[in-house]
Amino acid sequence: MPGRLVVVLFSFLVAGASGCRMQRAATKNFAELFRASAKVPHRIEHPRRADAGLAVLWVGHATVLLQMDDKFILTDPVFTSTVGQLSKRLTEPGISPDAVPPIDAVLISHLHFDHLSYGSLEMLERKIRRIVVPEHGLVYLPDFAFDAMELPVWRSYEESGMRVTAVPVRHVGWRYGTDAAWMTKSFCGYVIEYNGMTVYYGGDTGYEAPDFAAARARFPHIDVAILPIGPIAPRAFMEHNHEDPDEAVRAFLALGARWMVPIHYDTFINSTDAPGEAPERLVIAARASGVSERVAILGIGEQRVFLPRALSHALSRP
Amino acid sequence: MTRRALAVAILLATTLESGFASAYEYDEPTPFPSLVWTLTQLLPSPELFTGTGGTRYGMRWQVTPVLYSFGANRRISPWRWFVVDPMARQSGSIELFFSPEYVAESPRLADDAILRTGVRSYFPLVEKGDYLSVSLGASHYLFEGHSGAAIEGGVYVLFGILGLQVTYSPSALPAQWITTIRIRNF
Repeated sequence: MPGRLVVVLFSFLVAGASGCRMQRAATKNFAELFRASAKVPHRIEHPRRADAGLAVLWVGHATVLLQMDDKFILTDPVFTSTVGQLSKRLTEPGISPDAVPPIDAVLISHLHFDHLSYGSLEMLERKIRRIVVPEHGLVYLPDFAFDAMELPVWRSYEESGMRVTAVPVRHVGWRYGTDAAWMTKSFCGYVIEYNGMTVYYGGDTGYEAPDFAAARARFPHIDVAILPIGPIAPRAFMEHNHEDPDEAVRAFLALGARWMVPIHYDTFINSTDAPGEAPERLVIAARASGVSERVAILGIGEQRVFLPRALSHALSRP
Repeated sequence: MTRRALAVAILLATTLESGFASAYEYDEPTPFPSLVWTLTQLLPSPELFTGTGGTRYGMRWQVTPVLYSFGANRRISPWRWFVVDPMARQSGSIELFFSPEYVAESPRLADDAILRTGVRSYFPLVEKGDYLSVSLGASHYLFEGHSGAAIEGGVYVLFGILGLQVTYSPSALPAQWITTIRIRNF
């Protein structure tokens, strides 16, 4: 009970300092603290797909389990019931941490609580082979059993034929706010290449056309672009660092990818967006751009095979 | 004398950091006392003194000249100087601290100040200390012309922003027990 009292006091403190829109978000969030997360029906127990060359499973928020032939990559893993101790998960993770297979690489896009979750890394510690964080990111990564490395923008690392490259995005590098003055570099997206397949992971980004153009110039054959579509509102506050669905479609087109998978919505309350608002707007934006069939809106826990397992994926490209 | 020591402590906290920060030799971000950081350090932690003469209110500030983190990633430096990130502290660490404290309800400021120097160790319990951590420490204090030793324990949530510390000083009769709501950001 004292813990809840602290949460109440802190919520009002934060809300009071941030204006009425954020107050609304904080109030909604506080109410959610006392509700159980929604269940995901028929959660996948065995995500390894023998028939899949490239498969994407949306775990929720920015957490995506990627299968590229025999490799597994996990982005910004968050399996905890809250982030930052106060923001409650609305829907349980799309896969149980116990069902997650051994991970070749965990990719951390930046250091905010909803992307770098110590509790989630503890849950997966024995399954992770390596974690990759943005430049200067190790300063906020506690010591775990797995190996860790920083990857500055446009640098790559390669292991067993899989290459991961950090790419520029528009966001912020701090974790706590007070550190904004010196934590200025720790954010990026990633491009993963393996067996002729290419996946772009945008992490959490605002719309920055030159960044997407530069990524396309370097990676002209992106198969799947995993892009954030929220938080949307309050737009004046969010637009600097967060794409809305319209911008996400523009980013998708700028990247020249074959398919897009939207992320970063309807998992935690971190804005004043109504549940379902972001995917609804994405459907409209995709239709307006004539790319509806190339935008794969996955439910939390849903897995989609984009490319079948084949000897050469280059052959399957148009 | 006490007032002068307090002034020196505040000066140390706000001006000397830049010299220490430049001592980092790793390709790591270099924390420095930015305006925001400095303002957060000025936030006092409210406390309650209990002893002979009843209960009095007070405030505590904290400076960390040096901290060794045993929770930090093995690839980076475990040392922090003055500007200490919550991860380094709450994930497991030992720190040298200096705490000026103010005891209310006395007309003479000099008699109201406690100067405390000590060593404190943090231990992570949940989410590497982000969600829950505890601390144990010992300190030496100067109060109303006397000096003595104290022991303390604490528990912290919200990446260490909010905590509860209890300090016991057997020989400080007017303030034998001090309960502090620790508010700290960096």
